[in-house]
Amino acid sequence: MVDYVRAQERRTGWFLTIPALLVLALVFAYPILRAFWQSFFTINLGNQLTPAFNGLGNYIRMAQDGRFWNTLWNTTIFTVATVSLELVLGMGIALVLNQSFKGRGIVRTIAILPWALPTALIALAWTWIFNDQYGVVNDLLLRLGLISTGINWLGDPTLAMISVIIADVWKTTPFISILLLAGLQSIPGDLYEAQAIDGASPWQSFRQVTLPLLLPQIVIALLFRLAQAFGIFDLISVMTGGGPGGGTETVSLYIYSTVMRYLDFGYGAALVVVTFLLLVLVVAIATFFLNRSRKRASGAV
Amino acid sequence: MEIVQDYSFKLLKYWRTSLLVRVLSLIAAFALTALLIVLPARSQPVVLSFLMNAPEVPTLRPLIAEFERNNPNIRLNMIEAPNATNLVEDLNTSSFLLGSSPYDLVNMDVVWLAKFAAAGWLRPLDDQVSQAELATFLPGDIEASRYQGKLYRLPWRTDVGMLYYRTDLLQQAGLQPPETFANLLQAAKTVQQANDAVQWGYVWQGRQYEGTAAMFTEVLQGYGGFWVNPETNEVGLDRPEAINALNFLLSTIQQGISPAGVSTYQEEEARRLFQSGNTVFMRNWPYAWELLNQAESPVRGNVSIKPMVHAPNQTSAGCLGGWGWGIASTTQHPEEAWKAIQFFTSAYVQKQTSLTGGYLPSLRSLYNDPDLLKKYEYFPLVLEVLQTPALRPQIAQYAQASDILQRYLSAAISGRTSSEEALQAAARETRSLLGA
Amino acid sequence: MTTTVPESQPRSAHQHGVRRIVLPVAVVLTVLFCLAPILWQLLTSFKTDAAIAEIPNVYFPRPDQLTLDQYQKLFERRPFFNYIFNSFLVSLASTVLALGIGAPAAYALARLKLQGERIMLAAVLIVTLFPPILLFLGLLDIVRYFNLGNNYLSLIIPYTAINLPLTILVMRSFFQQLPKDLEDAARVDGYSTPRMLLDIVLPMTIPALATTGILTFISAWNEFIFALTFITREDLKTVPVAGAQLGGASPFEIPFGPIAAATVLGTIPLVLLVLFFQRRIVQGLTSGAVKG
Repeated sequence: MVDYVRAQERRTGWFLTIPALLVLALVFAYPILRAFWQSFFTINLGNQLTPAFNGLGNYIRMAQDGRFWNTLWNTTIFTVATVSLELVLGMGIALVLNQSFKGRGIVRTIAILPWALPTALIALAWTWIFNDQYGVVNDLLLRLGLISTGINWLGDPTLAMISVIIADVWKTTPFISILLLAGLQSIPGDLYEAQAIDGASPWQSFRQVTLPLLLPQIVIALLFRLAQAFGIFDLISVMTGGGPGGGTETVSLYIYSTVMRYLDFGYGAALVVVTFLLLVLVVAIATFFLNRSRKRASGAV
Repeated sequence: MEIVQDYSFKLLKYWRTSLLVRVLSLIAAFALTALLIVLPARSQPVVLSFLMNAPEVPTLRPLIAEFERNNPNIRLNMIEAPNATNLVEDLNTSSFLLGSSPYDLVNMDVVWLAKFAAAGWLRPLDDQVSQAELATFLPGDIEASRYQGKLYRLPWRTDVGMLYYRTDLLQQAGLQPPETFANLLQAAKTVQQANDAVQWGYVWQGRQYEGTAAMFTEVLQGYGGFWVNPETNEVGLDRPEAINALNFLLSTIQQGISPAGVSTYQEEEARRLFQSGNTVFMRNWPYAWELLNQAESPVRGNVSIKPMVHAPNQTSAGCLGGWGWGIASTTQHPEEAWKAIQFFTSAYVQKQTSLTGGYLPSLRSLYNDPDLLKKYEYFPLVLEVLQTPALRPQIAQYAQASDILQRYLSAAISGRTSSEEALQAAARETRSLLGA
Repeated sequence: MTTTVPESQPRSAHQHGVRRIVLPVAVVLTVLFCLAPILWQLLTSFKTDAAIAEIPNVYFPRPDQLTLDQYQKLFERRPFFNYIFNSFLVSLASTVLALGIGAPAAYALARLKLQGERIMLAAVLIVTLFPPILLFLGLLDIVRYFNLGNNYLSLIIPYTAINLPLTILVMRSFFQQLPKDLEDAARVDGYSTPRMLLDIVLPMTIPALATTGILTFISAWNEFIFALTFITREDLKTVPVAGAQLGGASPFEIPFGPIAAATVLGTIPLVLLVLFFQRRIVQGLTSGAVKG
């Protein structure tokens, strides 16, 4: 009887999971495996899109492709800048939202709003905010007397990068503050009491209690954000299209151009593979720290 | 069997009792109906769809209505595309790539042609058009409409890069319009020194974008060099002619003839500076003529145009732009599409769009048309420039090759690398692109 | 950073004073930070063209500077209701599918002992980190092979898939918290597993399904790259892509007013979702990310 139930349970189990596994295989596994395979072929307009085996040719070309390295550099800058800014800001907001004050519910609602809105439309809003003639950023800076003529934010490579970083920080900080807020709420209050009795300043108790106990959430937020920022597409595509002069072109935008504009499928596949491997590497490093922080956190309590 | 019955019974019971199940089924039914409605319905007259850059939509509307009146069995479905041409190109590209392109006709920029043709998205037109008909078009436009010997589009407007110069300033200094690169530098310096009001000698486009590649094509050909030979895929960017060409551009900045800011200029920045009156020469397209000669322009009446300067033993070259119509290879209605193309490229439509939009026609006869000449007195000058067109390489991977060149030109123009280094790197990457 | 300390905790008078000043300032800054860009776009969408282009900027428009023209222009230029309908249809369909496929799998992973369960779970976790740019090339192949271009299915299938991992993680953590007694009791009463799931488990799952569904809906509504690639027909486009192409990065005459109107219209459904379901969203996000 027990065996029969177990067997039935197992059958049901597979029956329940197989649709999900099939969909995941179709949309995640197939494209990645396919990219690995295609990356060894030349499939582009030079050969009428008929695959021709090319060995490691695409990878060799990538090594010499100045634009690829430039986009990788841009991606790194964007990722590091946004994730670290978001972490600091998200922590601050989470600390505020963890306080009790009148209207906290509404403020919490407002604080997740940016995360929920469509990135492409938000990118339009930020393009308008950074407009060189009528943009509100220039207007405020002019009113404050910090500049004397409007700055062409999206027209200069460095300023454009700063602009897209600001827009992304605005858009995704709420995600981090939600995760961190959940972590804060799980920290027992008596830990702070003990600290206060020992005469610790707020900063000390933040360093000694909050931060260590929050480490797992911080690393998880970091992990998610690293992966997302590394693959950033919609925000930059709408705000600058990668310009000016490739100043904000990230790897994602380069992959998209290579495939959809140049129809260079083999090379595009190689770019996908390398991006995938880089991402795996970043995630592996972050996971390593996640595990360590989890151990440390469980040791601390 | 029993289980099935049991199940259907359960489901029925569920339907009755559970609000959730009912709402879900309603949603599902709704979604299904919507899918069915959206499935394309075939209507009676032949419908030809195509994308049109947003700014041109209003001027074309009445012409299309006219065509539909004369051809009651054809309807033209003009779809408003974004303003920027690269977005229109991308929209066309992804439509064709998806395999079931909703478009029957393609209004193409000259640089898209090789890509679209190589990908097999266009129908060759050679069988439909006679040699005599082709001879009525400007030869450069027809040459630019071919890919590997086959004709894929019929042009309906042209465009060409050229040299604008200030007749009054040259006259004051007792100078003739320059013929060679050295002439140009010399004349610019002379005027700049003689006249304090003249701050700059020459303005051109140096930003990292397609316009700079077009501009460089002219200088390159003027030095007798070449970018890519479409027949052999040979790359000429690291040859001495190419390095001389880039050095000429750099020397205009180094000698104070061009502002360092040209490294961020597109057409409009150059045009505004030239129009403000403190510049002797400008490289630009014909559209600038009307703006330079509008009523409040400080340089009105003191501007002329000529073919781009060249090296002593070489000839001038003006980079060819322009648009034309092709037929999608997937269209169900090639005959009707051809009719529409004949209409759009006809002298009548070309004249109308030229009068309303200021475009340059691609039919030679229209450069003698009295109405057009009355409105655009510079047409004979443009026709002269059009005698020596320079084509950007007609290779399928042009967009990629151009992006490579743009990056390295920009690096050299903004002073980040030397001209040799830049062009050698550009040549190396272009070769590895075309090498396959 | 002086505001770390939770309310319940005793502290000195000095700290109280600091808190009284810092906290309101921090709250106001937070609200400003999150709302200002949205409000600016909202304001722009109601201004006349002249007021939009006025320098210095108009922050408090006079009545004669306010108008609904921008919305009217938007609807004249583009079939915007179409876009909203498309977005709704695609988001709803993929949400229903993701729940329908993901929740059973989550139950199996939480309750039934399957071989390779850990591997499956790890795979699901890793997959949540894949940016869509890595997938679109292979999906393009599939879409072309099955001729799905310009078909809602070309969006519904990928959206279902990219939302499956989150659905599975959130639902699994929900099932793990669900007391097992009821299911055991049903077993004893002789229910078969499928019937037990349908009769006993499903009704209890509805709140968790709602939570997950909201997240799924939001992410499907906001998706950009697949919608950009697989749909080129004007009448089938979704709101984000149509909005972005309205902007068009054109060199001349960018229609700022209609763009602002499009932003407002395209975000309203999501603003409403957030207003009504703030708690659920937070709950879903945290259980999906942290507990997974």
